[in-house]
This record gives sequence, structure tokens and C-alpha cells, in this order.
Amino acid sequence: MGVGFGVGVIGLLFLAHAAYATSQYRSVLKILEEEFSSPPMNVVIELFLGLAMCFWAAMAVSGDFLSIHPDSEDNRVVSLPGNLDFMTFNHRGRVLPYNQN
Amino acid sequence: MAAKDESKNSQKKSGNGNDDLVLLNSENLQNNMKIIFYSRTFLSIIAGVIAGILGLTGLMGFILYFFIMAISSLGLAAKAKFSVLNYFDSCNRIILDGLFGGLMSFVLFWTFAYDIVHIF
Repeated sequence: MGVGFGVGVIGLLFLAHAAYATSQYRSVLKILEEEFSSPPMNVVIELFLGLAMCFWAAMAVSGDFLSIHPDSEDNRVVSLPGNLDFMTFNHRGRVLPYNQN
Repeated sequence: MAAKDESKNSQKKSGNGNDDLVLLNSENLQNNMKIIFYSRTFLSIIAGVIAGILGLTGLMGFILYFFIMAISSLGLAAKAKFSVLNYFDSCNRIILDGLFGGLMSFVLFWTFAYDIVHIF
């Protein structure tokens, strides 16, 4: 979680730097009175790298997928307390008043 | 032995036409859906910022958005180790879920980034 988060922050910093560089490039083009078609190549590469790092961070930071089958191996320990064989119902709850609705 | 399990991982029954009940662990399913939602929303925001910086207008921006969403579907399938049915109840979840909600965030950040970089 820590490494993925750091990578995401670095990716966002790359994107911010690319935004700043593009706006500088645009003001240079305004001085030269040329038309803006696309940012310079190094900005495009920087955007691509920033996207790759944010992508990796999005996959890594969000946590693991958990299996949804109740009989899979990693769900076994989690579902052990729910065994009906070990539940008792003859406790003092049965003399408490039972409110319907 | 038990016909109905009272564990805290409330089991959800889903049936199909052959009268064959499949038990699913709905707490884990919700966890997985939450992960897809967060990843998709974050990536659609990043896609919006990139479309704004590149100066894309019109259809090209939406093409970029759907391209990044397709790559994110691949990434989520890889995160599920390509056996998607272990983690979700249908294959459509990792492809379609969060697609149109992310589209709204994408357009918002696209407009925002385009204005900051190209207009101011």
C-alpha cells in the first residue's frame, strides 16, 4: 500500500509538471503566433509515464480481491465461527420479550 | 447439515433456470465491487486530466476515455488473476460497471484541465 501510494503521487506530480510545461509552450506559441496542435514530444512521453504510474497505483492501492465462493480455501478460516453445530439457542435470550416490528 | 447458514458473511443465493442454487459470499462480492469502483473513478479522473493537457476536443477525447477504460478492464482482469468467476458473479462486472459514472468525472476533469492549461 505504501509503495503504490508513493508511485501514484509521483505519477500525479508528472502530470502536474506536464500541465505546467504545456501552458508554458502555449504562451511561447502565442508570442511566435503559431497554432497549437499538440504538446512537444517530451511532454507526451511524460504524460504517458504519468498515466502508467497512476494506472499501477490504481491497481495496487485499492486492495486485494477476495474470493466469493464459500468453499474456497482462503474463505475457510473466516467462516469457521459460523458453524451451526456449535451454536446454542438455550440461553437467557429466550425469556426476553420478543418484539415483533 | 445446515440448510441455512447464519454466519456473518451473509450468503446470497442466486438461481438459474436449472433450479441449481449457487451460494455466494456477498460481503466479499461487495468488497470486490468497491475496489472496481474506486479504481475506475480514479482512472477516469486521470484520463480527463490527460485529455485536457493534450488539448483534445470532441470525439478524440471520448475515444481516449474508452481506450483507458478498456485498459483498466484488462488491468482488473489481471488483478483477478484472469479467473474472473472466482471473484465476481459475471464477467460483465469488470467490463461495464462504473463505465458511465466515470464518464461524468472524465468530462468534468477534461473541461477543468483544458481550461487551466489552454485558456488561462
